[in-house]
Amino acid sequence: MTGLVFDIKEMAIFDGPGIRTTVFLKGCPLRCQWCHNPEGISPKVELMVKYAQCIKCGACVAACPTGAVHSLCTTRGECISVCPLNLRRLVGESYTPQELATFLLKHRPILEKNGGGVTFSGGEPLLQSSFLLATIKHLEGLHCAVETSGFASKAKFKEVVEHLDYVLMDLKMVDSEKHRYYCGEDNRPILENLKYLKGSGKPFVIRIPVIPGVNDNDENYRETAKLLEGSLNLEKVELLPYQRTAGAKYGMVGRHYLVDFDEDAKPYFNLEEFTKRGIEASIL
Amino acid sequence: MTSYIAKLRQFYVENKEHHTYRQSSVNPHSLAKEFEKRELSDTERAVERLKWVLEKEKVVVFPNEKIALLRTVPTIPEIYTEREWSVIKRSYRIHEQGKVSNICPSYSSLIDKGFNQVRLEIEESLKTHRDAEKIAYLNILLETLDIMEAFAERYRLAAIEVGNTTVAESFAQIPQNRPQNFVQALQFFRLIHFGLWASFNYHNTIGRFDQFMFPYYEADLAKGVLTRESALELLQEFFISFNKDSDLYPGMQQGDNGQSLMLGGLTTSGEDAFNDLSKLCMEASLELKLIDPKINLRVHAGTPIEVLELGSEMTKQGLGFPQYSNDEVVVNALKKWGYREEDALNYVVAACWEFIIPEVAMDIVNIDALSFLKAVLEALPCLTECETFDKFKEVVKSKLCRQTAEICSNTNGVYMEPTPLMSLMMEGCIAKGQDISLGARYNNYGIHGTGLSSATDSLAAIKKYVFEEQRVDKETLLKALEADFVGYDELYHLLRFEAPKMGNDDDYVDALAGELLDWFADSLEGVSNDRGGIFRAGTGSAMYYLWHGNELGASPDGRHQGEEFACNFSPSLHTHLKGPISLIKSFSKGNLERVANGGPLTIELDDSMFRNAESTAKVARLVKSYMDLGGMQMQLNGVNREMMLDAQKHPDKYRNLIVRVWGWSGYFVELDKAYQDHIIRRSELDF
Repeated sequence: MTGLVFDIKEMAIFDGPGIRTTVFLKGCPLRCQWCHNPEGISPKVELMVKYAQCIKCGACVAACPTGAVHSLCTTRGECISVCPLNLRRLVGESYTPQELATFLLKHRPILEKNGGGVTFSGGEPLLQSSFLLATIKHLEGLHCAVETSGFASKAKFKEVVEHLDYVLMDLKMVDSEKHRYYCGEDNRPILENLKYLKGSGKPFVIRIPVIPGVNDNDENYRETAKLLEGSLNLEKVELLPYQRTAGAKYGMVGRHYLVDFDEDAKPYFNLEEFTKRGIEASIL
Repeated sequence: MTSYIAKLRQFYVENKEHHTYRQSSVNPHSLAKEFEKRELSDTERAVERLKWVLEKEKVVVFPNEKIALLRTVPTIPEIYTEREWSVIKRSYRIHEQGKVSNICPSYSSLIDKGFNQVRLEIEESLKTHRDAEKIAYLNILLETLDIMEAFAERYRLAAIEVGNTTVAESFAQIPQNRPQNFVQALQFFRLIHFGLWASFNYHNTIGRFDQFMFPYYEADLAKGVLTRESALELLQEFFISFNKDSDLYPGMQQGDNGQSLMLGGLTTSGEDAFNDLSKLCMEASLELKLIDPKINLRVHAGTPIEVLELGSEMTKQGLGFPQYSNDEVVVNALKKWGYREEDALNYVVAACWEFIIPEVAMDIVNIDALSFLKAVLEALPCLTECETFDKFKEVVKSKLCRQTAEICSNTNGVYMEPTPLMSLMMEGCIAKGQDISLGARYNNYGIHGTGLSSATDSLAAIKKYVFEEQRVDKETLLKALEADFVGYDELYHLLRFEAPKMGNDDDYVDALAGELLDWFADSLEGVSNDRGGIFRAGTGSAMYYLWHGNELGASPDGRHQGEEFACNFSPSLHTHLKGPISLIKSFSKGNLERVANGGPLTIELDDSMFRNAESTAKVARLVKSYMDLGGMQMQLNGVNREMMLDAQKHPDKYRNLIVRVWGWSGYFVELDKAYQDHIIRRSELDF
């Protein structure tokens, strides 16, 4: 069995308690318009090019069997080593669970000494849940967290949560119609998995990407807070303001960044709906 | 920050309104002509110069200030004519400007006693000497005290005139007598420090301020003379004084002035030295956001994590400090080099990061620099004859040893101008009737080591591709380097971007760095300088990272001809780094106790890592982890690349933007472009 990883970030500071290494698993079933990791969307290896710095020397065109047209890329990587500025790479690296675990365990003493561990993020890490679970088995009890959209089958979600120590879950919006429009899928599985999570006893954090004009309204804050109210294993709610730089990497993987909201609008925050229900909430 | 401090900051730092009191510059050699005519000795010249400067000083006291003294004389004259100096330069080794610099005097040896007591000691010493030269020298020390007292007296009178009772009272007490309180102790420090700059000493470090000033602070708090709040305000006013005249201080770039202040660490009896004054210093600096004084923090196993968290708060402000050093490593290293335990435990840093001992050391910690990469490049012509990688390493080692041998042999016959005022604060000068420029208990010389990561990566590439995989043949490599990789695109890509690099916790590469460092230390083992001291190997680069880089051709790590090295003890600038954890592991593997002259691992962190208190605290954990791994010295920067790029375009908008250069913090817009560009490149080392 192998999994496809698109990045491994050391000292990921916002991905759970302590000092952590975050593994980004490639592939995601959702299509959130504001996604800032477009290279995590496709579950396949793909070419990533820093076109902005390209000097158009033509070396890649000469080396490529398809004339270096991004959409025709065969991901064989002939163009990579000819680029004088090293602007091209294949994103998506295969690991066996054992290989990934060996790599992660290299830093175990520092991670554990600092109250941290490993976080699996994505993409949507549950898309590769068997690989994830197999990797955890090799991690010898190192603290493991997952950062998930919650969009997965009940069975998968339950199995992964059972084997993890900590969950960071996104809750983008409660309104299912809007969710379909902005994220490409219905949020029913997410809400059901949330229900399970609340009763699971696992410590968890809810994160809300605050997208101006999309979900930053009192109603969404209130409905979200109501869903979370009374959950004893909920540690906190974190609001993640929309980053104006979210679109930066789309061109690099041959995608277009198209959003149907006003990127320049100031996001509206309402922490009170949470705090008045006894839920710790902050803006990250 | 109180409105009073905000006003002072605006007056001195932002608007520099005090510059209106500055007198016009003079020909720096005007005084020396007269000295030559009068046939004065160098010591006589030194004291005459101090007298001339302080008498020429216009006395400026503001009604509300608590700590006075403002430099108005922009030029400190030379004591030799140009002709005399060129004769001296022919017979002696002149280090930098030929002045005593970059050491740490014991300010408290004057402050705690007062000049009256010191005068008695000099008179006692006079009784023990018969030698006319010694007697003359001791009389010059007495004269130095007189000159300083006369200067202080003028300030006392001026303070009375403007109705400033605090300053008037200070100068009624000091420097003759021991200060009665914290403000007088601070004024005393300012007086001495001012006197050192007026004596043409430079890189006048501050030392363990939180230790020697603590009794005054503590006593005032106990007596109720000060509250913690009023002490903070006073300390901030004092800190501002380091920024009043600093543009007049000698240095390579604005900001390179050596006003390093050391906090915390172990006491000489091995206990935690961090006290409430240490904390107050950090708080004062955190609020002021000024480049001086430059805060250093000694860390040991028992340093509370809260102290490191406060340090992270400072890093978050973009100050480029604190710089951290590891007592467990540094103290041991110094002991192995022959420093007494109590001296080793008392270490501070020189202008940048070199470890020095207050009061007892006349070490020249930056006498020269080894270029690691030069040793590798000089060995390359022999590559074709080397059948194994080990053979090639031997050639590199011999080239390295030849370089250090040459460096060491060039250090003979150092001459420095005498400095009576500094000597008053250095051990043994009064008793021996001898100037500090002639030596102290320790007279060791430190040698920087530059381009370590480029040299290591070059060796790793040769080992892997030439010898092990035989993917690259020797002639092709040499030709490619000769051509600066023009026409060798794929080889260039392989070497620069795909080859293993130092900084990624890869033992294959890191072990080679360890060997290079060991060879450096080996080459200096048992060698002594002509002052009876040893040579200390180090991992600092100072400004040599540009100089040494510029003079070398292309290298097997894919570095272009003339391309600069990384600064200090850091990965090469074109390394794709895995992350901070791998980085600190890589840079703690070598036998660092052997190369402890100083030189920090420098890490650039995107300022988003400091977004909230929790994340800032995690950065403190990174520091702690490095120390736990056996790291020696570390310096973190919170950087924002976009901001620096914008500052190059619109300098006026970024007058307060502070960055770390090589061993000190400066204002970004005041730096030469080469240094600005280098800092921007450093920030692009992406994790």
